[in-house]
Amino acid sequence: MLTLQLLANGLALGAAYALCALGFVLVLNATGAVNFTQGDMVMAGGFAAIATAAMLAPLWPGAVPGLVVLPVVTAGMAVLGVIFSLFAYFPLKSRPPVATIISTIALGIVFQNAANAIWGPEPRAAPPLLDASLVRFGELAIPKQSLAVIVVAAALIAGQHLLFSRTPLGRKMRATAQDRTMAAAIGIDVNAMIALTFALATALAGAAGALLSNTFFVTPSDGTNYIVKAYIAVTIGGWGSIAGAVAGALLIALFEVIFPALPLIVPALFGSDALGWLFSQTAASILLYAVVLAILFFRPQGLFGELVQRRA
Amino acid sequence: MTGRLLSGINPALAFGLVVLVVWPMAFDTPYGLRLFALAGIYAIFVMGYQFVFGHAGALSLCHGTFFGLGAYFTGILGAKFGWGFPATFAASALAPVVLAAIVAAPVLRLESHYFALATLGIAQVMLLVAIKWEAVTGGANGIAGVPPIVLFGMTLARGWPTVLIVWGLVAALGLAARAVLGGLYGHALHVMRENPTAAMSLGLDVARLRFETFLLSALYAGLAGALYVHTIRVISPEALEFHAMVACLTMTVVGGRTRLAGAILGAVLLIHLPEWFRFLEHYYLIAYGLVLLATIIVAPNGLLGLVEDARRRLAPEAPPPAPFAMPLPAAARPTVPTGAILSLDGVGKRFGGLQALDAVSFDVRPGEILGLIGPNGSGKTTLVNCITGIYTPDGGGIRIAGTDVGGMPAHEIARLGVARTFQNLNLVDEMSALDNVAIARGAARHLALGTQTGATAMALARAEAMGLLEAVGAAEVAMRPCGGLAYGTKRRIEIARALALQPTLLLLDEPAAGLNESEQADLAQRLKALAGSGLTLVVIEHNMPFLLPLATRLVCLDHGQKIAEGSPRDVARNAKVVEAYLGPQEAAEVVA
Repeated sequence: MLTLQLLANGLALGAAYALCALGFVLVLNATGAVNFTQGDMVMAGGFAAIATAAMLAPLWPGAVPGLVVLPVVTAGMAVLGVIFSLFAYFPLKSRPPVATIISTIALGIVFQNAANAIWGPEPRAAPPLLDASLVRFGELAIPKQSLAVIVVAAALIAGQHLLFSRTPLGRKMRATAQDRTMAAAIGIDVNAMIALTFALATALAGAAGALLSNTFFVTPSDGTNYIVKAYIAVTIGGWGSIAGAVAGALLIALFEVIFPALPLIVPALFGSDALGWLFSQTAASILLYAVVLAILFFRPQGLFGELVQRRA
Repeated sequence: MTGRLLSGINPALAFGLVVLVVWPMAFDTPYGLRLFALAGIYAIFVMGYQFVFGHAGALSLCHGTFFGLGAYFTGILGAKFGWGFPATFAASALAPVVLAAIVAAPVLRLESHYFALATLGIAQVMLLVAIKWEAVTGGANGIAGVPPIVLFGMTLARGWPTVLIVWGLVAALGLAARAVLGGLYGHALHVMRENPTAAMSLGLDVARLRFETFLLSALYAGLAGALYVHTIRVISPEALEFHAMVACLTMTVVGGRTRLAGAILGAVLLIHLPEWFRFLEHYYLIAYGLVLLATIIVAPNGLLGLVEDARRRLAPEAPPPAPFAMPLPAAARPTVPTGAILSLDGVGKRFGGLQALDAVSFDVRPGEILGLIGPNGSGKTTLVNCITGIYTPDGGGIRIAGTDVGGMPAHEIARLGVARTFQNLNLVDEMSALDNVAIARGAARHLALGTQTGATAMALARAEAMGLLEAVGAAEVAMRPCGGLAYGTKRRIEIARALALQPTLLLLDEPAAGLNESEQADLAQRLKALAGSGLTLVVIEHNMPFLLPLATRLVCLDHGQKIAEGSPRDVARNAKVVEAYLGPQEAAEVVA
């Protein structure tokens, strides 16, 4: 029973991580650049949801549902993504990749401190997608929010997949990600495709923020945690693999939720409280990171990835 | 007389020193002096960060953690355990170095973005530990009451005494950094940063160089952290937060990544930046972010880079005179037991679905010039990369002078006496031709931290490099940066660089490409003379008029397989070879 409830929570967290990691990989593939601000975009999405709900409040009888807020946030974040790319990526596109890492770190700092200046450092919560009630399946009670987050995130991931596999626009974006020179040679407007990729990636991160900030709250310094999680997801899934990033995000979220709860799930195994310190959020984070370092050490290509070597 | 006396003094350096003396005098308030001491502390932090980010070219994001760790060790040991300054200072220096050594194994070999994010993860973990391990760290509140610096029984007062101690350490650590980076070592880091593959092929132990710079920078960060906590007297997780790292990164980028003066300039400017942006109150970090972004776009080499560019443009300096040439010392050539200097036995290499090399076997005998031919994509360069350890072959054995080199790192293979040139020229453009070759002389003497770092080693390496440049006919461009040189000249410098290793086996990847006919004839002459002196050559070439009279034997590859081996005459007429080059249809016509 408990396990199923935890599973639902873990999947909801993982779905939001997956949106963030997905955007990270899309930009990575399209530009070869690491977008360090992707984590801060999740944070920005969370605050954007709170601000949007406050703005819509006079127009809405009762509490504004997150489902109304979400499209507004996603669209706004897409626009922000394009503006962001004009400062963080395009002036530096012919420079070594490290220049983009630094420019995105710089803008991340600006976002964090701007959020801090506007909303302050206290944790805040955005409205739930539908309401804060529980859904009951017999004895099992799961927050409606968790289920809604899983459904919405799955829909967004499926939407991204359909965009890339079924539409001419998606094919152009994929061609750009595969080989920019070649794509330009066959007449694709590569810069527009890259700007669109930034829009998509930022919209996905913003959606993740709007989805997460009800259950998990949002504070201005959250971005670093999300970018690290996205990185771990991408490392586990194989650098550059879209499906791998989603799978990796789900895995780490499930680990984060299930691991600290192990003594509750199988109390027989952990009779005493002596190991209490081990089964905490902090220990889970440290263990997760230790596992990632081990992966990097033994399988630098990721768990599912294939080793790519540079040409000498 | 006065002219000679002043000629050794760099006017910019003198100006900078005067500013550094006048500044604290001009802002002689307790607050002004405290800021100036903090600027010195960050200057030490940044000087250390320049080792890893500026010189080794790795964007580390865990140096804030090394700084914080130094601060925490001094804070905890000083406030809770009552340790004295010398002991806490040593502990704060050591702890980050130990952590750096532990995390180095998995993270140091990662490429740029992996490395940046992996180090960020380390920083996150350490921050969590500092917040949650309340019993030791004081948790989110930290520990107050960190003692001041006490030296020889005297308590160091705030204000001027602290400023003097801090800036004295800036000077001492700056001179130490200069001693490490000034000579061949700094140049070797430059080669590694620009071109790791070339560095490895010269016998530079890239992993070791990275490790050394990582540890050195952790040491500087730890010392800076210790001084920081002595200055502000409390320790809290703030020291470990990303802000400290961003401050250091911004100072490094704004000042200039590889210049010690840049470290000081960046630290002094950015510590005072919040003063100039007081209207932003607590959100001055927004200004940090914007300054960092603007600098990376407008002045990638920092403010010092801008100043140096301007000076070069306004008053172009004549290059320094070339050194006198010196011959290389006599090399001890390893004995060749089996008769083959290079022996390939069924070498295979696969990239994903492509079998780049498929069971390639042949021997190269001492003193011969073996021509390696084959159409584009036939696996020639891949084979050279396998022999030199840039790639690890999937199967088969490679023996060099009898030693099995399977799985051996590239620099060790180079040290066995294998040198190479590259198809796509791998010289460092902004470095002079002379220094490009001089590095290889340092590498030949197993350059590492503490060896080959002095001025004498540099002078000797340059003199020997000059001799090599004369030998390949490139002496007149010795002092010019490689970037602006003609293609044929660059090829000759690459050969000089390879010869600097005093190899027994030299692998040349398309040495005649881009050369005109007289240059080709000249090159062929030189290669024949080298073979005559006992050097064994493997020459990859498409240019048959160049290769046929030069090579003593040919091997032809096609689709990763050896399809012919023998005398140049026989191989050139071999039906399979003709077919591989021309395709079956045309080959049939030619034969008919």
